[in-house]
Amino acid sequence: MDLTLVLQLALQGFLMGGVYSLIALGLSLIFGVMKVINFAHGEMMVFAMFLSITVLLGWGVDPYLSLVAVAAFMFGIGYLVQRVFVNRILDLPEAMQVLVLVGLAIIFENGTLMIWGGSDISPKTSLALSALRWGGITVDVPRLIAFVLAIIITLAVLVFLKKTTIGKAIRAAADNRYGALIIGTHINRLYGICFGIGAACVGAAGALLVPLMPAKATMGAPYTMISFVIVILGGMGSLIGALAGGLIIGVAESLGTVFLPSSMKQMVSFTIMVVILLLRPQGLFGAKS
Amino acid sequence: MKETQPEPQGIDRRTFLKTTAAAGAAAAITGFPAVVRSQPKEIIIGSNQPVTGPLPDIGIAMQRGNKLAADEINARGGIKSLGGAKIKLLLGDNEAKEEVGRTVAERQIKEGAVVLVGPFLSGVAMAVATLAEQRNIPFVIDVAALDAITAKGYKNVFRCFPKVEYFMKSLGVYLDQIIKEKKVTIKRIAVTNAGDAFGRGQAAAFVKFVKDQKLPFEIVEHIEYPLGVKDLSAEVTKIKAAKPDVLFPVSRPGDAKLLIRELYKQRVELMGIISPGSPGWYEPEFVRDMDKLAYYVLDNVPWVNPKSPVFKEADKQFQKQYPGKYLDTNSGYAYLGVLVIADALERAKSTDPAALREALRKTNFKENPMVGGPVVFDEKGDNINATAAMVQVLPDPKIDDRVKVVLPKEAAEAPYVFPWRQLWDRG
Amino acid sequence: MRRLYLFLGLVLAVLLLLPGVLNNYWLEIFILIFYYAYLGQCWNILTGYTGSISLGHALYLGIGAYTSTRLVMVFGLTPWVGMFAGALLAMAVGLCIGFLGFRFGLRGVYFVLITISFAEIGRLIALHMESLGSFMGLFIDFTPGFWNMQFRGNVPYYYVSLGLLLFSVVVVRALELSKAGRYLVAIREDEDAAESLGVNTFKYKMLAIALSAFMTALAGTFDANRIFHLSPDRVMSMGMSIEIILRPIIGGMGTVLGPIVGSFLITLPAEWTRAYLSEVGRPGLHMVIYGFVLIAAVFFFPRGIMPLLNRRLRPFFSKEKE
Repeated sequence: MDLTLVLQLALQGFLMGGVYSLIALGLSLIFGVMKVINFAHGEMMVFAMFLSITVLLGWGVDPYLSLVAVAAFMFGIGYLVQRVFVNRILDLPEAMQVLVLVGLAIIFENGTLMIWGGSDISPKTSLALSALRWGGITVDVPRLIAFVLAIIITLAVLVFLKKTTIGKAIRAAADNRYGALIIGTHINRLYGICFGIGAACVGAAGALLVPLMPAKATMGAPYTMISFVIVILGGMGSLIGALAGGLIIGVAESLGTVFLPSSMKQMVSFTIMVVILLLRPQGLFGAKS
Repeated sequence: MKETQPEPQGIDRRTFLKTTAAAGAAAAITGFPAVVRSQPKEIIIGSNQPVTGPLPDIGIAMQRGNKLAADEINARGGIKSLGGAKIKLLLGDNEAKEEVGRTVAERQIKEGAVVLVGPFLSGVAMAVATLAEQRNIPFVIDVAALDAITAKGYKNVFRCFPKVEYFMKSLGVYLDQIIKEKKVTIKRIAVTNAGDAFGRGQAAAFVKFVKDQKLPFEIVEHIEYPLGVKDLSAEVTKIKAAKPDVLFPVSRPGDAKLLIRELYKQRVELMGIISPGSPGWYEPEFVRDMDKLAYYVLDNVPWVNPKSPVFKEADKQFQKQYPGKYLDTNSGYAYLGVLVIADALERAKSTDPAALREALRKTNFKENPMVGGPVVFDEKGDNINATAAMVQVLPDPKIDDRVKVVLPKEAAEAPYVFPWRQLWDRG
Repeated sequence: MRRLYLFLGLVLAVLLLLPGVLNNYWLEIFILIFYYAYLGQCWNILTGYTGSISLGHALYLGIGAYTSTRLVMVFGLTPWVGMFAGALLAMAVGLCIGFLGFRFGLRGVYFVLITISFAEIGRLIALHMESLGSFMGLFIDFTPGFWNMQFRGNVPYYYVSLGLLLFSVVVVRALELSKAGRYLVAIREDEDAAESLGVNTFKYKMLAIALSAFMTALAGTFDANRIFHLSPDRVMSMGMSIEIILRPIIGGMGTVLGPIVGSFLITLPAEWTRAYLSEVGRPGLHMVIYGFVLIAAVFFFPRGIMPLLNRRLRPFFSKEKE
């Protein structure tokens, strides 16, 4: 086994894992607080990718800079989606929730298709092609930046949730919906903010991915899936878990290609999901219910 | 086997009778011979393309190609042997799904389609071809590559596009030529393919071709990745470790860009990239977005013939209607498909499916805008003169002119370049 | 209740006679309605009656389709027998998944995720098996004839799919009336309570998933011999699993007529929007509308349509004895 190959793969996977963590963080929030399976998660990210591309092509602003604006816009979208659609299904049986979120996924994906067309779009960004070389190992600069920014944003969200009043209120509502209702928390607004933050996370992740890969309207579904695997691995509702889970899955998938044909890459994630569900459903960091 | 008539079309009997009555009256007044059934005002053709789904740009391009031909024929006066009847093209979206493709085709037949054209994807082609066989309606496949479709012996299927076997035949000829003319030795090769029917099929055919023809190449790495993958860094790392001379990728548009970027970033040394035949390397988006990195990629694909007057005129119209796009392999064959149908209609002098089928079988269509000889179908329905060309992305100040045919020489616009300049040496 | 049966009988008579007046296109639409109603009904057995949501039912469909097709290709075995082989295999897989899920106490969203995982793993494996045609899938020969389950016209397919649907209705109704069925409903309403009352919840849930998987797989054979192309991305995908669950959810889970009503209500508008909107040239528009329609359906009928229909039509169909 070529050691350089393995190291290279592990490193690439680890860096990508940072972005995965950010995406999963959004899902963990939504899932942990509202107990809703957001089937539209990946599709919302793709929508954000295209937003960021539009800003790049229209105003020449690099995705790393427009990241904040894109995330803010996605926050707004997330808030609206929650208030208009998701809020009404919170008390419905799970199957009905699935249907609505699948509907949202279809809307996001095909909306993206309608607005931006079906081609792959990968515009040139300033750093898209730069790489650092060190020994036999190449480090992809955009991937490195994505990793660093993703981690920073993840930590920022964690701090927000632990220290601010709104953050604490959200966590309280997650633990006990009815309790929070009783004491008069503006629960709808809280949920809206929570979903908004989740959307902002994928918005930022989308912007970070623009320099890394061509954007295509139909690419969202695998990201939804992988964020589920990560959230389960890390533990439902555990934000540290999302962070750790993302990195682990990133590396696992990448290393998996050493033993499996690349097209079986996803087998690794799904197998991990099965193992965790059976042996430790609360995930690595989740609380045993 | 007994010839079966097409099913009576329920409601459409009324429309048919109405048309007959009207035409009968007209015939009586004008004194024309009352060959009423084959003088419709409108000939309905059903277009069946993957407009939504995972390949929307291709689906849309195909639909536009079909439409371009239909509009052009109508502008020229329609089908003259049928009294100037105009072509009405029904635009169907099969969503890249077999089931939908079949339903769309059923609907089009109900609405009076006498022939179907489409559907780009081999799986959908199989579903629609079987339906065409069940309903006895001719089906002209503009694009779909897998050999299995015409291997079933269906009477109603006619394929314009070269099947995979023909792709490989052309590739063999070109590789031979390149190695002899450029006096190079290619020993180690790497093959990659996207994980879909086409990718796997094409790559497998290439590998088989190399083995069967006992070509002196050693396949040092063969990598498959999932369709729609967004990250090829791991795969390229493996390719680099295998140290191939030439990379033979079968890809879709998205992966082509990813591959080039990764090859550049990881500094993989190659003599060049020769695709055994896949999209992605010649699309406007790829050429534009990758700029210098796109140069010198060779692709063995069926292609438009830049020297054909038919192509030049059609391409002009296409670019006028859809600025920023040009008539490429897919839209070109979609265009050809409808032209072939129109030609058959002219010779059949009727819209009766049996007559149309006969006429299609006898096709010898010379106004071919694609590289290759006149369209001639064998008993299985394959176009025996269908062939691939070698195109290369070459430097040119005009981005839209960069993709050029380099082989065969008769259709070449420019000499080919091999080996290439390394990706990071291009300034 | 007699009026209800009379009404249903009338509907059935109409359905049996429709092929006399419908053209192939409309027959195709009805075939799709019956086919998906059948699949929804099979899914209903597991989810509607036990509450364990499966989002990986396409796995069973695929197993059924591939097994019977391979048996035709290798042994020339008629699909009418082959489909039972496929169904048995699917049942075995279902029992494994059920065992893992139920023994390990996975409920709610955890169970959903495990069904998704197994379906995806199954799909990925199928994508790489040469004998299943790997990525290219299987291209099935068209040899019309009763024993090949292949026909030239749509009429025979119509009757086969209608037959399957009726079969599923009988099975579900029989289940509803049986002791097993009552236990299943108890499990759905409150599994822990049922457990504490002495119901062997594990045994009955396993029964449900076995039956559900078995019946789903039968449809796979029907589909293979109608579409003539099998690929894991078509018959074993998440997309297909979602298609399967749409109709029973909208129609009303846990009801006998729910999946059927849901199938009519989904398939017809879906086809209309496709027929009239995809020509407008705005790719994706009809799908966006479809998405909104799904959401609207849930908002207006949060428990599915059947409960609403039941309330409205009950006075008409059953005479309440004072």
